[in-house]
Amino acid sequence: MSTTQAYLPQQAGEKSSPEFWRGIVSCTPVLLGIIPYALVLGAQAAQKGLSVVEVPLMTGLNFAGGSEFAAIQLWSSPPHILLIVAITFLVNSRHLLMGAALAPFLRQLPKRKALPALFFMCDESWALGLADGKKRASVGMNPAFSLPYYLGAALPFYLTWVIFTTLGAVFGPVLGNVEAYGFDMAFPAVFLVLLRGMWKGIARARPWLVSLVVAAFTYLFVPGAWYVAAGALSGLVAAYFLSCDA
Amino acid sequence: MIDTASLLTIVLMATVTYLTRIGGYVVLRNRTLSPRATAVMEAAPGCVLISVIAPDFVSDNPADLLALAITFLVATRLSMLPTVLIGIASAGLLRHLVG
Repeated sequence: MSTTQAYLPQQAGEKSSPEFWRGIVSCTPVLLGIIPYALVLGAQAAQKGLSVVEVPLMTGLNFAGGSEFAAIQLWSSPPHILLIVAITFLVNSRHLLMGAALAPFLRQLPKRKALPALFFMCDESWALGLADGKKRASVGMNPAFSLPYYLGAALPFYLTWVIFTTLGAVFGPVLGNVEAYGFDMAFPAVFLVLLRGMWKGIARARPWLVSLVVAAFTYLFVPGAWYVAAGALSGLVAAYFLSCDA
Repeated sequence: MIDTASLLTIVLMATVTYLTRIGGYVVLRNRTLSPRATAVMEAAPGCVLISVIAPDFVSDNPADLLALAITFLVATRLSMLPTVLIGIASAGLLRHLVG
């Protein structure tokens, strides 16, 4: 790219703090939405026997809600390490696509800044950062990707997630057995809303149906937690073979 | 406070998650993915999520099945918080009334 050179003088003439603030403002409405998730996750994790130290350790190091919900759902004592790690990878494999989409905007940054910044890439910060980069590119702003804006949008998410999952772990046990009150229904509820967010028409959802049917049958007839791996893999195989006519 | 097996699981989870975050940038930034590979990767998160909750769809408790049907309908229309609240309330109430 011939324009790469022009990107190199970092953020020339643009101050970081207003950009950071602009990021914080843009992420605030969505922040409120993740607080109930975080509380539910923390409470359920405590129910499964994770301590108030282990919960922030998981949500702070992993920082990917979908995979944490899946991991807690499958958690046992001791945990099935390989199963949980494999499921974490599958749930988070979408990050590969997200990172690839963001890559053209990150070319202006040195790797020592891009790699730590990517640690904070979640669905929300990615969407905000990418949309902002495209907008700035369309009006010819240089650099198109504003790192302080992206961090302003990402860091409050991170802090909110870690703090409220911890609070969930602290106060969840006070409520006692969450199943008695129907709190366990929060899981399918959260997952169904996430699935609706990923919905791109019935044709693209056919692999999900395959997963559901295979997972349900495996659950009924095979002891243990194999139903997740069986369901997920059969869905991926279905996606592979269905993709030509989708 | 920290169990060794739990710590190992958490650290490994965090490692694979970070690899997925930098993987697209490091590996895919100069390549184009085939439509088929893209389709599989786009389907993957949904396949996993639905598989994790599949046991709820074949519960032997009628109250739970009914509550799941209600939650499913609500999830197609409302946002996260109301869906979670209605799901919890319907499961709690139906278990008392039916189960």
